[in-house]
Amino acid sequence: MNGVKTAENAPLLEVRDLEQRFDVSGSLIDRLRFSGGRVSAPRRIVHAVNGVSLSIRRGEVLGIVGESGCGKSTLAKTIVKLNEPTAGQILIDGEDITHHDFTQMRPVRRKMQMIFQDPYASLNPRQKVRDIIMEPYLESQGGSVPDRTERALALLEKVGLGTEHLDRYPHQFSGGQRQRIGIARSLSVQPDLIIADEPVSALDVSIQAQILNLLMDLKDEFGFSYLFITHDLSVVRHISDRIGVMYLGFMVETGPTGTIFSAPKHPYTRALLAAAPQLGTKLGPATEQLGGEVPSAIDLPRGCPFRQRCPLAFARCAEERPVLVPVGGGQSVACHLHEPAIAEPAA
Amino acid sequence: MTESSMPRPGNVTTPLLSVKGLRTWFHTFGGIVKAVDGVSFDVAPGEIMGLVGESGGGKSMIGFSIMGLIDPPGRVEAGSIEFGGRDLARLGEDEMRSIRGKEIAMIFQDPMTALNPLYTIGNQIEETLALHTTLSARERREKAIEMLHKVGIPQPEQRLHHYPHQFSGGMRQRVVIAIAMIARPRLLIADEPTTALDVTIQAQLLRLMRQQVEESGTSLILITHDLAAVSQMADTIVVLYCGRIVERGPAGDIIARPRHPYTRGLIDSIPHETDIDGAKRRLSQIPGNVPDIRKLPPGCAFAPRCPRASGLCRMQDPVLSEREGTGDGQGPRRLHATACHHPLTVSP
Ligand SMILES: Nc1ncnc2c1ncn2[C@@H]1O[C@H](COP(=O)(O)OP(=O)(O)OP(=O)(O)O)[C@@H](O)[C@H]1O
Ligand SMILES: Nc1ncnc2c1ncn2[C@@H]1O[C@H](COP(=O)(O)OP(=O)(O)OP(=O)(O)O)[C@@H](O)[C@H]1O
Ligand code: SF4
Ligand code: SF4
Ligand SMILES: [Mg+2]
Ligand SMILES: [Mg+2]
Repeated sequence: MNGVKTAENAPLLEVRDLEQRFDVSGSLIDRLRFSGGRVSAPRRIVHAVNGVSLSIRRGEVLGIVGESGCGKSTLAKTIVKLNEPTAGQILIDGEDITHHDFTQMRPVRRKMQMIFQDPYASLNPRQKVRDIIMEPYLESQGGSVPDRTERALALLEKVGLGTEHLDRYPHQFSGGQRQRIGIARSLSVQPDLIIADEPVSALDVSIQAQILNLLMDLKDEFGFSYLFITHDLSVVRHISDRIGVMYLGFMVETGPTGTIFSAPKHPYTRALLAAAPQLGTKLGPATEQLGGEVPSAIDLPRGCPFRQRCPLAFARCAEERPVLVPVGGGQSVACHLHEPAIAEPAA
Repeated sequence: MTESSMPRPGNVTTPLLSVKGLRTWFHTFGGIVKAVDGVSFDVAPGEIMGLVGESGGGKSMIGFSIMGLIDPPGRVEAGSIEFGGRDLARLGEDEMRSIRGKEIAMIFQDPMTALNPLYTIGNQIEETLALHTTLSARERREKAIEMLHKVGIPQPEQRLHHYPHQFSGGMRQRVVIAIAMIARPRLLIADEPTTALDVTIQAQLLRLMRQQVEESGTSLILITHDLAAVSQMADTIVVLYCGRIVERGPAGDIIARPRHPYTRGLIDSIPHETDIDGAKRRLSQIPGNVPDIRKLPPGCAFAPRCPRASGLCRMQDPVLSEREGTGDGQGPRRLHATACHHPLTVSP
């Protein structure tokens, strides 16, 4: 992004032009196509993340919002190296971890933890909760820890669970309780950075408030940073310093939270904010704010990824893909309507 | 039962589902987990009932109990679940199997537990159709594509061949919704159906469900922690705390004029725009934690956290008692009931 870097405030996490693709072609038989009298076997590639750059400073919260399936979880998993990135660079504290293997990642995991979107799938069904939540800690300590139970209990209490839950297995918990187990586990090593993928989506609003307050306290006390993925606009507004809006694997707008909410520029961001449900109002008929087909990450459209649904699309949008350019006040937008007069291509 | 069993004069519509005194308990080594403990409610044909409450409060277990899916060490201890003239709590597994998926379908909270990782999405949707309809293989495929399209999955023809892990969280959730709705059940239990979805797709799916309610007279139990979504959709709202109903009534009434201190606390915990600047950063939360439900204190389960608690509350269980709702006076089904010794009064 637009980064004038000085040594003293080098970002904790820096991601440059990250790309993540998945080959979903399947077997050759599945791929066979007949068209125009010819046989072909095209490969099908999901373009999940397309050249995303971002940076997070110490003690900063970057919120990521965007349509379901737009690549948020993939971005998160690639950053913690659960996927091998197709292209681009990932730096933690200045260290390039783009090609680190599992063992090389061990010290990095002490600095960076992830809370998974799907809590059940990410918890080992055969492990008791006390072992699950202590796992990252034990890995970093290399085994024996005398005050294990106390530590485990302290973590559980932080997320609103108690002694009675220590010896249960994941299937014995409700959805929201499982999600909190995932949160407790990520806190066990006191990481610098938490990549949180929908961490409060299964929680009732009171426990959600408790967890969000906890995350903010940790930030104030220990300078934790977060990459916080959520579809809940009131949550992202509350917790983030800056927000990044994704669409179809592209970052289409970034900026300070206040600016994104008060002066959103990208047509997708505007449509998204307009669709936020309001307490105490009935669901109206479809307003067709966002008409058109959701495009597919398999066949990326030419030009602007949003153009099939954009109410403002014009000829150029079908030809040329807009790039993220700064528009002042720390805000950047990828839309042909918001290019500064003398457009500078984004670095 | 904590329920007042007053007769309801003038109630002409027979409910599709009538749950009475349901208790679903888990017998664990550390004691009995009373996940659902004396819950009663009715759902009329074409009614949307919102079920909200604390995480771990028993919402999913109510759904599982209706579906006959409680496994040991859990058990439906008491109560009845009347559905279309039968008591589901007394049916055998064979009979339940013919009802499940066809007459009553549930959208499970955790999509991965509902989907088989070894089969493609297309296989799984078509299997449901093969089980519950007489459509031909080609019609099933077309129906599957149509349904995926309706829930907003782009390029459904291609996506049919993909496996669950190749979908995003929200896409899996939409597939599960498609499977649950495809056989047009009479009762749909949707357990957190839209938690993984962005607001635009959430609105699209809520509309799709409401359309089915309006067109086919399906009844919907919408379990969610999203109070805004529930207030948009539901006719009635039921609030659970520690396995019991603490408040029940017309949706608008509950949101605008909650009587139970727990409901009030929930509504106050929603992040508001106003706490953005200045004093930002601290959300209002209900003090304390949910008690260990194996060892509930005597009296009201909410007393340790309640700003209005009195000596009486710590001794005596409050009973769910009905009072006229202040909102739309739409007959006795619309009564607003609260289980509280000192309910909040409606402020003018
Ligand atoms: N197999 C089990 N053994 C023991 N306790 C269980 C078991 N399954 C569920 N429970 C407990 O039953 C209670 C109710 O769980 P339920 O899943 O119904 O909660 P919920 O209201 O759906 O919560 P959430 O909003 O977090 O999904 C929880 O306290 C849970 O820990
Ligand atoms: N392992 C995989 N193989 C193939 N395709 C994948 C894989 N993982 C993700 N995808 C695809 O990549 C795209 C982005 O998925 P991702 O899970 O990152 O979305 P998301 O933004 O997190 O969505 P949601 O809000 O629904 O969780 C989707 O089209 C998805 O189907
Ligand atoms: S570039 Fe064109 S299509 Fe894309 S968001 Fe801007 S106006 Fe719409
Ligand atoms: S009964 Fe008493 S403790 Fe319980 S919610 Fe009412 S006032 Fe509070
Ligand atoms: Mg995701
Ligand atoms: Mg649940």
